[in-house]
Amino acid sequence: MNAHDRWFDGIARNLIQHAARKTPPAFSERLGEEWLADLAVRSGAFAQLRFALGCCWATHVIAHEFGAPVRAAVATATGKTTAVHDAGSEPSFSRRTVVILVVIGLHVLVICVLAAAIEAPKVLKTLLPPRIDVSFVPKPAPPVPPTPVDAKLDIIRLVDPPPPVGPQVPPERPNAIQGQVTEAPPVGPTGPPLPGTVTRVLGGPGAGFPKTDDFYPQSSIRLHEMGTATVSVCVDGAGRLMRKPAIDQSSGSGRLDEGALRLANAGSGHYRPTTEDGRPVSACYPFRVRFQLRD
Amino acid sequence: MSFQTLKVLEAFLENPGDELSGADVHKRSGIASGTLYPILLRLESAGWFVSRWEAIDPASVGRPRRRLYRLTRSGLAHASGVFASFGRGIPV
Repeated sequence: MNAHDRWFDGIARNLIQHAARKTPPAFSERLGEEWLADLAVRSGAFAQLRFALGCCWATHVIAHEFGAPVRAAVATATGKTTAVHDAGSEPSFSRRTVVILVVIGLHVLVICVLAAAIEAPKVLKTLLPPRIDVSFVPKPAPPVPPTPVDAKLDIIRLVDPPPPVGPQVPPERPNAIQGQVTEAPPVGPTGPPLPGTVTRVLGGPGAGFPKTDDFYPQSSIRLHEMGTATVSVCVDGAGRLMRKPAIDQSSGSGRLDEGALRLANAGSGHYRPTTEDGRPVSACYPFRVRFQLRD
Repeated sequence: MSFQTLKVLEAFLENPGDELSGADVHKRSGIASGTLYPILLRLESAGWFVSRWEAIDPASVGRPRRRLYRLTRSGLAHASGVFASFGRGIPV
């Protein structure tokens, strides 16, 4: 602790001891020790000073709340009934003490501002990067892109997946819930397969995939919440989840997102796996879950 | 009940068995000392809290003893009731 901190620490301790003495006698000793213990936990001169000033205010409140009955009891016990009213309205700090505290506070503020102003250039010097001299040099030639060694491994085409197996949209009915699972749009070019490429078909919800309606949160139905969440899943060649699904794009409702995740979890084993040249492979892909209420 | 009192209670309800000093409550709730200590005394005098001195030897540890506060059984019941009345913990 440097001299500056010691000075602030001393002021804070004095303020606390003064404040504790002004609390009702039943609390005076206890609060003094308690506040000094809690002061020791505070690090930094400002935090300590703020804490001490807070204790001064606490004294005012405690004296106001707990002081009057104690004084009244003392007055009654000693027969000084005339002193009760005056004692009850006595402020915990005299006007003179408050003025002194305000003046001390203002002085501390000015000293801190001046200290900060003096320290600022040094701090800036340490924070700013060293000066760098810049001169113009000819632009180097752009690097030549490397030629692909094996085109078959470098080009993977994404094609639109076939329509999901089995009906996913329930038949419309009055006041019905409509939930729908769709694959997210594929990324990458589409078109006729090029020679020497791997044709990759992204997976999606397959046969026996649970109905979205069953996962429409009841609270969302009550609140008429609708939306579409994009869920990212990693599925192995057998259509089972390899890890927990995650929300790629929120529906805007945490409840609906939670429902979409539960649906994605429940669908493990019923995903249509991604295929490369017809062979099922493990892959991660997104799909959309739409929660919609129909009137 | 004031917002600050609720914050103090919330700090204790994080783990109702915990004994917290004023500094601990300040860390959890962010309430300044001027407001915090009157609330602690108020709740203690109402029987919601009990307090005791930390069982250390200040001379050997090199710091003053802390005053530790703990929710009483009735304090816990009251505090839980207050928060339940705001709908906290009820699934939507």
